[in-house]
Amino acid sequence: MSAGKGEKLLEVEGLSAGYRPGVAALSDVTFEAPAGSITAVLGPNGGGKTTLFRALLGETPQRSGTVRVNGAVAYVPQTERARLDFPVSALDVARMGTYAATPWWRPSGRAGRERAEAALERVGLADRAGVRFGELSGGQRQRVLIARALAQDARVLLLDEPLSGVDGPSAERILGVLAELREDGHAMLVSTHDIHQARAFDAVVCLHGSQVAFVPPAELTPELLARTYGGEMIVLDGGERAVVVQHHEH
Amino acid sequence: MDLLLDPLRNGITQRALIDLLILGVVCGPLGVWVVLFRQSYSAESMAHSMLPGLVVAALIGAPLGVGAAAGLAVAAATIAIASRQRLVGPDAAVAVAVTTLFGLGTLLALSPQTPLRLGELLFGDPLSVSTADLLASAALALAGLAALAAGHRTLTLGGFDPQSAGNLGAGPGAATWLLLALLALTTLIAVQALGNLLVVAIVIGPAAAALQLCDRLVPALATAAAFAVAAGVAGIYLSYWAELAAGASIAICAVATFGLAAVATSLRGPATRRFLEWSSATE
Amino acid sequence: MIEPFQFPFMQHAALEIALLAPLAGLLGAQIVLRRLAFFTHSVGAASFPGLVIAGPLGIPPALAALGVGGGFAALLERLSKRAGVAADAATALLLVLALAIGIVLASDVFESGASVDQALFGSLLGIGTSELRFSAAALAAALVAALFFRDTWIATGFDAPSARALGLRAATADLVLVVVIAIAVVASLDAVGSLLVSAIFVVPAATVRLFARSLPQLELGAAGLALVEGIGGLLLAYELDAPPGAAIAVLGGAVFAAAALARALTLPAREPATPEAAG
Repeated sequence: MSAGKGEKLLEVEGLSAGYRPGVAALSDVTFEAPAGSITAVLGPNGGGKTTLFRALLGETPQRSGTVRVNGAVAYVPQTERARLDFPVSALDVARMGTYAATPWWRPSGRAGRERAEAALERVGLADRAGVRFGELSGGQRQRVLIARALAQDARVLLLDEPLSGVDGPSAERILGVLAELREDGHAMLVSTHDIHQARAFDAVVCLHGSQVAFVPPAELTPELLARTYGGEMIVLDGGERAVVVQHHEH
Repeated sequence: MDLLLDPLRNGITQRALIDLLILGVVCGPLGVWVVLFRQSYSAESMAHSMLPGLVVAALIGAPLGVGAAAGLAVAAATIAIASRQRLVGPDAAVAVAVTTLFGLGTLLALSPQTPLRLGELLFGDPLSVSTADLLASAALALAGLAALAAGHRTLTLGGFDPQSAGNLGAGPGAATWLLLALLALTTLIAVQALGNLLVVAIVIGPAAAALQLCDRLVPALATAAAFAVAAGVAGIYLSYWAELAAGASIAICAVATFGLAAVATSLRGPATRRFLEWSSATE
Repeated sequence: MIEPFQFPFMQHAALEIALLAPLAGLLGAQIVLRRLAFFTHSVGAASFPGLVIAGPLGIPPALAALGVGGGFAALLERLSKRAGVAADAATALLLVLALAIGIVLASDVFESGASVDQALFGSLLGIGTSELRFSAAALAAALVAALFFRDTWIATGFDAPSARALGLRAATADLVLVVVIAIAVVASLDAVGSLLVSAIFVVPAATVRLFARSLPQLELGAAGLALVEGIGGLLLAYELDAPPGAAIAVLGGAVFAAAALARALTLPAREPATPEAAG
């Protein structure tokens, strides 16, 4: 895959989106993501992170604005959203990424299999291809889901809190995979609550119903975080660490 | 040997065995999806809810197959709507739908004007299958298998991770609709042999057994088909030798496949667990 | 309207409905809120073989049904603890097994004939003083259980993980709830039969759920509606010479359909439960 760095893979301008007509769950979003970049998406629960992803995938009605994408967009869910008791192996899950490219009446065949194997190789799980998905560790499952997105041949990846509920060493491996994908020229949007993590990425989009900011991580000041999270956050260590108060919504 | 060959010598049991073969091949694999999608209640309800269609057909002298098809169309649509109900909860909504339709069928069937035996409709009789029935069943089963093959990816995506299904090329909700339509189709094939109370046995029993034993989809689908056929054949023999109601015998055998699989997995359980601990320790 | 109730059997049936209605309110609310509709239906169906053997063996039907229903619940509990078996699939399997055994017993062992219909759909004539006493006892048991555990039921229904963290009481409360539902279901069998217990315990509560804004509203409303639908069903069954279970079911379904339609027309739709809420 050619790197093509600097080429804009995703351009979003004045985007508003939401399920109900007239009521936008998210408004005025403007940012861009070049090839070879990781952009953190910060914001409180219900702040619009999920709506942004759904809108970029074309699954939430877009009310206004423009979205320009170069190539396909793939979605990487949190592992606990996938069924652990489902009788599929890691390779089976990676192959799901090739389904859309093959017409339903044609078996996905050798080409799809090879693409899925290459994707597993890319995330360092070639040796676990035959293991049942539910028997992998949380971090390995997350990497399998990233492999599935790679098998989709997408250049833009949307990752939904890929590090939540994953232990330290596994998180490091996932971040290592993301760094390699950045080298390959993918553009990644990573929704997260971990502000420390966001500082290590290339850019940050802050959402709170509407876009609060699109800045380089160096400009992620305590004041900006306070505006993003409202009263839901406690900032420690002069802004280096922040604890987000999680709200359970029913 | 005679014990095995006797039933094969008469046309009635021959046809019953062929019918169960057809049934098993399509009900087994479908059941795997039903179990994975947590739609066992819908499967059970679907069969119950077709009762008004059967009774009306019997009352006006229409072929039972036509009544069953009409009853199932109503039942499938009602359950599809009910299982999307968020306000009262899908299970309560399905309960309301099935209770109403089943009650309606019973009222029609037991009102004094109808000289009809409700029992046959409820419990079925595989020994009443005619050659024409067999041909119809075979055609429907082929259609069902074709739909299962064509819908395999949609079902896989929708069952494993519905949130991402749209992004991976499957329409949202498509899997559930496909599943309910296929359930209606297989219930139509199976109802004559098993009756509307027992159809769910051949759908769920072998599938739950296969899912105990297999940890990949395609082997599970094939194993479920084999178990369903085996349960059907064993049920016919059981009813022949022990002179028991045939539909009930098949249902008992279908549940027994699950019991056997559960025993088998608990016997091999400790060994499997040791192997897994060993293989994950060597990573 | 009054004339049918001059007969003692109709008076018994009406009294039975009056005893079941508070159960439909108290337990129906929990069944709808806690997603126990399939379990409720399956306990009813599972008691069918108990009803079949009761007559020929000379055991009181309620006792036989309770025995089989209890065995069913215990087996289900064990099965659902196994890894790899979905609770709904296990429920469906045990349910259909019980029905199949009941059918074999009824048609090949005891040749029960017409009493099968009575066991499956209930009967106006089947309600005697012993059945009424059993229903009264079931009601008393449910009220005592509610006195001790209703708060825990509510807490568990609202947020199961937090309630479990509070201690063992949640597990005990769940067990008590399941047992009380099983007893209540068995109490209703003579009136509505094995296959239609949902007509009493699910349909009225589901209907009231469309409008109720609090748990007491749901409980009282469901009890009231179960009483009205039950008495209406008895009259319908009397007129049509049909089993009361079927009549109550059809009446309840019609009322639910009308209520759902009325709600859709008069009230604005509530917020859809989209994945948005998790975002």
